[in-house]
Formats: sequence, C-alpha cells, structure tokens
Amino acid sequence: MITTIGEIVRGDATVFPPYLYAAYRSTVRRAPRLPLVEVPLTASELTRSRLDVSRVTDEDADLTRNAGTGGEALGQRIIVTGRVMDEHGLPVPGALLEVWQANAAGRYVHKRDDWPGPLDPNFLGIGRCLTAAAGEYRFLTVRPGAYPWGNHENAWRPAHIHFSVLAPSWSQRLVTQMYFPDDPLLALDPILNAVPEGARSRLVAMYAHDVTEPHWALGWRWDIVLAGPRATAFEAREQSAA
Amino acid sequence: MSVLPVTPSQTVGPFFHDCLLREDRCEGPASDDGGAQIRVEGRVIDGDGAAVPDAVIEVWHAAGFARIGTDAEGRFSFSTTRPKRVEFERGTMQAPHLSIAVFARGLMNHLFTRIYFDDDPSTESDPILRLVPEVRRTTLIATRDPGESLTPLYRFDVVLQGVSETVFFDFRSPAS
Repeated sequence: MITTIGEIVRGDATVFPPYLYAAYRSTVRRAPRLPLVEVPLTASELTRSRLDVSRVTDEDADLTRNAGTGGEALGQRIIVTGRVMDEHGLPVPGALLEVWQANAAGRYVHKRDDWPGPLDPNFLGIGRCLTAAAGEYRFLTVRPGAYPWGNHENAWRPAHIHFSVLAPSWSQRLVTQMYFPDDPLLALDPILNAVPEGARSRLVAMYAHDVTEPHWALGWRWDIVLAGPRATAFEAREQSAA
Repeated sequence: MSVLPVTPSQTVGPFFHDCLLREDRCEGPASDDGGAQIRVEGRVIDGDGAAVPDAVIEVWHAAGFARIGTDAEGRFSFSTTRPKRVEFERGTMQAPHLSIAVFARGLMNHLFTRIYFDDDPSTESDPILRLVPEVRRTTLIATRDPGESLTPLYRFDVVLQGVSETVFFDFRSPAS
C-alpha cells in the first residue's frame, strides 16, 4: 500500500504502527506531529490500580446469548481463545479483556453505523472476561462479517474483533483488533497495513481444530503478547497476599 | 529483550461506546481513601482545532481507574480524589499527577500523557516534567478554575496535533 507514513511511533517501530498513516484518512488530523517525550517508567505506571471488576460474569463472555433476549445470535458460532502473556512469556492473569464486533452480517449495534446490513436482535456484539491463572481467555461468539466504511471508494473492513486489554501495569495497556486468516480484504485494509509488515500476522488468529467443538462451534486461537514490564514485585506480593 | 513477538496496536475505531463505556466502567476513580475530591473538565481537539467527538480518556492513579468518552463537542469531565505524591527514585518524589491515556478513531496507538496541577507548589520541580522541553510543559498542567465551586475545578485540554500539541510520552523501560 503506497501512502505517507509518519515517523512518530510509540514503542518498538518494527511492531507498532506509526500515528500518521495517510491511507487511513482519520490519522491525518489526529496523529501527533511533535516528537514523543521519552521518560522513564515510574511507580505511577508500574503499580496496580484497583479495578472494580466484580461485575464481570461468565455470561459476559458468551456473545451468542448475552443480549438478554433469551434468543441466540445468528451466524457461524466460534470460540476465540488464547493466552495473554508479557514479552518474556510469563502469563498475565487478572487482565480485563473487553471485545466488541459487528454481527454476522457486518453490522454494529451503534447509532453511527447506518449501512443497510441487517441487525440481529439477539446480538449486541460486546463481551468481556478476566484472564485466568495462566493468562487464558475464552469467548463464544459468532464470526463477524465484513462491512463498508467511508475511508475510500468501495472500502470494506475485513472481519475483525476489537480487543481491549487492561493489564495490572498501566504501561502494558493495549487496544487492538484480531483478524481471520482466510480473508481477501486483509491486503486491502489500511488499518491492518499500518502495522509494519513483519508484525501484521500477529493480529491474525489461527484456526485450531483442537478448540473446535463437535456439532457446536469452530475454534480460533489468538495469543496476545503485551509490551512493557509487568507490575512491580511489591504489588505482586500484595496481590498474592490478598 | 523480548522473547515473544509483541502484539501490535490498532485504533479503537468509532464503534467502541457500548463496550468500553458500559455504565459500570465510566465512574470516576474510587474515592474510598478519604481524600479531597477534584473535578477536571476539558476537550479533545484535532489538528484543525475541531472537536474529537469519538475519543476515550482513561485516568489511572493510586485511587483507581476511570474511563470517560467525549461528547459531540469533544468535551469530557470527571471527578476523582486529589492524587498524592508518588515516589520517583529513592528519596525523591513526583508532583501529584493523573496518568492519562487517549484513544480515538484515527489513533493507531493510544497516547500517554499526564495531568499536573498549576496550584501545586511541587509541580515546577517534578522530575518527569523537567524532562519535557520548557516551552511545552504548560500543555501538561491543568489550570485551576477561579470560580467558587465546592469541588476544585481544573481545566485540561488534549490537543492531538498542532502548535499547542499536548506532550505525549514514550516510556523507557528500566534497564534489565
């Protein structure tokens, strides 16, 4: 994709996209143009803040049934699972994962999504869960559809699921998107292509037959590796004592 | 050195509201440590000076975490406990501040910044603020509103791009 690429990147420039990637038009007036100021991590970024996650329930991770209608969402039922780890391979337990996605027809339940794709009354397209002891997460959902957007002529976003990861350390905060490997729209998508080429495939889930459940749902595996150091040892001790 | 391939970021896009701004995530940071309350109001503005109506501000400090969406005029506001000083290196302290992350459609990675307070005498000598070029420091300092409100009110705008662009940070990991 030929485009103007800015020089300002936060984090490893071989991994993270530049703020300015002109083919994705919304970056042009929103990307910072002055250099980021490099500062050391301090206790402010490395300590665990109290997160009120007591209201996260098992039902929150089942997007096929969490609309509260009693009905089941339409579409190909899928299981999306994986582990959240730090860059040293250590699991990140207790992270809050929040996901949002279009329905099987490519339509979001959102007032600003007004293309004529059908809504599904049994699908809200939002879910959340906490990572378990080995950093594992698991969502049951339906495979999202592609949808059109106004970025350029005949622009379509490839099917994707948005992920927000709120880890115990502030410096590990991540918001990203997960894609599916067999999608011809991947090569045409400026948002995915803003990621340096060598790191793009990390956003693409792998089909996992061992996750697939017979007569029920197809399985996809996608691990998330967070940059940055974990919460301080002091906080970890406090956690385990709690 | 990392041993595993780090996962890249992507924009939050325009459709995050129902997920990220669920009612029970939008509260101000907990105030159960008995500290005094403050209020912060501001706007998120793009390189044309236009409002950013689809941004999310996250606030993180010792008393808790909060997430606030901007409205049609790019405005956000929150109340929280006044932050306390936090240790920097052994024997030195940072001035009171709030850690901030900014997400929006069009931001390929969130932006980290901080809110300091103009009426706090320790702000001037804060060790992180002193790493910021002097002419840009004011972009990180909230100004106390002179109005007589019960809860002290501060103004802080996030300017994503332009001459008065807010200072955004890239954190350097401690040597390992």
